[in-house]
Amino acid sequence: MRRKTSPVQLILTGGVMAFALLWVLFPFYWALVNSIKQPADTFRPGAWVPFWQFQPTLEHWIAELSILETRHALLNSTVIALGAATLSVLLGTTAAYALARFRFGKKGNANLTTWFISQRILPPVVVVIPFFLIMRQLQLLDNVFALMLLNATFTLPFPVIILSQMIRELPKELEEAAYVDGATVFQGFLQVVLPLLLPGLVATWIICMAFSWNEFLLALSLTTKSAIPMPVIIAGAEHTRGVQFWYVGVRVLLTMLPPIVFALLAQRYIIRGLTLGAVKG
Amino acid sequence: MNAAEAPTLRKTDRTKFFFILPAVVWIVVFTLFPLLYALYTSFFSFRFGRINQFVGGTNFIRLFTDDNLHNGLRVTLVFVAITVALQMLLGFSLALLLNREMRGKNVLRALMVLPLFATPVAMGYLGITLFYEINGPINALLGALGWGAVPWLSNPFWATVAIMVIDVWQWTPFVFLVSLAALQGLPADLFEAAEVDGASSWQSFRQLTLPLMTPILWLILLLRLVEAFKVFDIPTSLTLGGPGRATEVYSLFTYRTALRFFDHGYASTQGFLLLLIVSLIVALIFRQLRTVYQEEGN
Repeated sequence: MRRKTSPVQLILTGGVMAFALLWVLFPFYWALVNSIKQPADTFRPGAWVPFWQFQPTLEHWIAELSILETRHALLNSTVIALGAATLSVLLGTTAAYALARFRFGKKGNANLTTWFISQRILPPVVVVIPFFLIMRQLQLLDNVFALMLLNATFTLPFPVIILSQMIRELPKELEEAAYVDGATVFQGFLQVVLPLLLPGLVATWIICMAFSWNEFLLALSLTTKSAIPMPVIIAGAEHTRGVQFWYVGVRVLLTMLPPIVFALLAQRYIIRGLTLGAVKG
Repeated sequence: MNAAEAPTLRKTDRTKFFFILPAVVWIVVFTLFPLLYALYTSFFSFRFGRINQFVGGTNFIRLFTDDNLHNGLRVTLVFVAITVALQMLLGFSLALLLNREMRGKNVLRALMVLPLFATPVAMGYLGITLFYEINGPINALLGALGWGAVPWLSNPFWATVAIMVIDVWQWTPFVFLVSLAALQGLPADLFEAAEVDGASSWQSFRQLTLPLMTPILWLILLLRLVEAFKVFDIPTSLTLGGPGRATEVYSLFTYRTALRFFDHGYASTQGFLLLLIVSLIVALIFRQLRTVYQEEGN
């Protein structure tokens, strides 16, 4: 793979890389720059660099964050993401341990793994109707708790797949030594395996949080007022208040910043998670 | 060792179910049961949001005669075919090009993760300003290049292009990152041997890289197809399915059937058609994937 690189190739790859970066980053920059522009500067050509080409302001951020609905939505999103991710990781870690360390019949492990993976194949719109009817029956419509449960369901494949692979990479002898010392299987899991799993566990938890935070279809279908999270606020915004570029910028960043920060934190495990364990990034 | 192993095994035999059962029960309750319930409701008509009467296969017959549904299906198929093809092509090419030792690659990789986690609904919302027809940044750029203003959101064709552009922006990095990770996992000695034997870069790409990457490319294709068929967020926030029904993708149409018109039975039936389509694609491609998932088999 280590061929000599000619100057032409170097310029070509450099150019492509620069273009790719620009392409990826531009929308984020656009949101940011609009969020700190005065309305009068919005359509003024050549207003790109704050302080130099225009006077930035934080007033839109302050205005948006003082809206009760927005604050409530941020809180709802946080509660749903935290709750769903925690549930998902709790359920997923034990299942991952079972799949990695025990045998369930001749093809049981492979079948169970496929079954968990198939969870991510299911289009959510198929189950959103029964969810709506069931939650209405249980009087759980417009309730963050319902969204927590459902997001935990849709993110469950991530901990199962990522963690079962990580556990397989740990030597079995660690637990066996603990058993010899009189530990039960539960103690072996909790005291020997879990501590070693911690980095992956945290990363998986973060990935689950990001996915729950970004989820839109279920949130839109199951909330009406008090349980509305950020993505639902954003979807209806321009129709109630018109397209005001500065508020669009603020809302977009308020919604996207948490999952993006999560993604940067969980870097190492993202490829593994998104390919359902097939490629280790 | 045998004496210590025997009780351990007996112990594990019962406890293993404690470990696996919570997750299994969870999926049964939150996926299998809702699916069965959806199947049940698909045989009923609804009135005022409540089950009204048994209608047999009527909802299934409506699938064949509903022009709006066919529109949703067509819009989705075009969207899936074009976006996934572009993402595969661009993402894999970029990975091939950047698969070498070079400065700044790690930064690039870190930044490429960002679009994957940018809330899709927020991207659609931001798209309203990006594709703004009068002096929006994209039209301003096109204007500088000598193009007239493109009617991004008011013209059916261009609105479709707009949702595709955002989806391609969001998911090309996924293809890139996975391909790059896989390319770097390829055995380097094979390529060195090929080079020693005088193979050109085109030959080693054709004879080594491509065959070795084929299973991974199938996997990426499968994951992208499955995900692309679920498209909902971007058209819902960017175009509301419009103008007219030009960007009313399948999930959006089903969502509206269920929660705008409260025709839950028919909406469930529509859901199953989508599930059938996605399952067929998975079944067709999954055969190519045996090698990738082999390690899970034991």
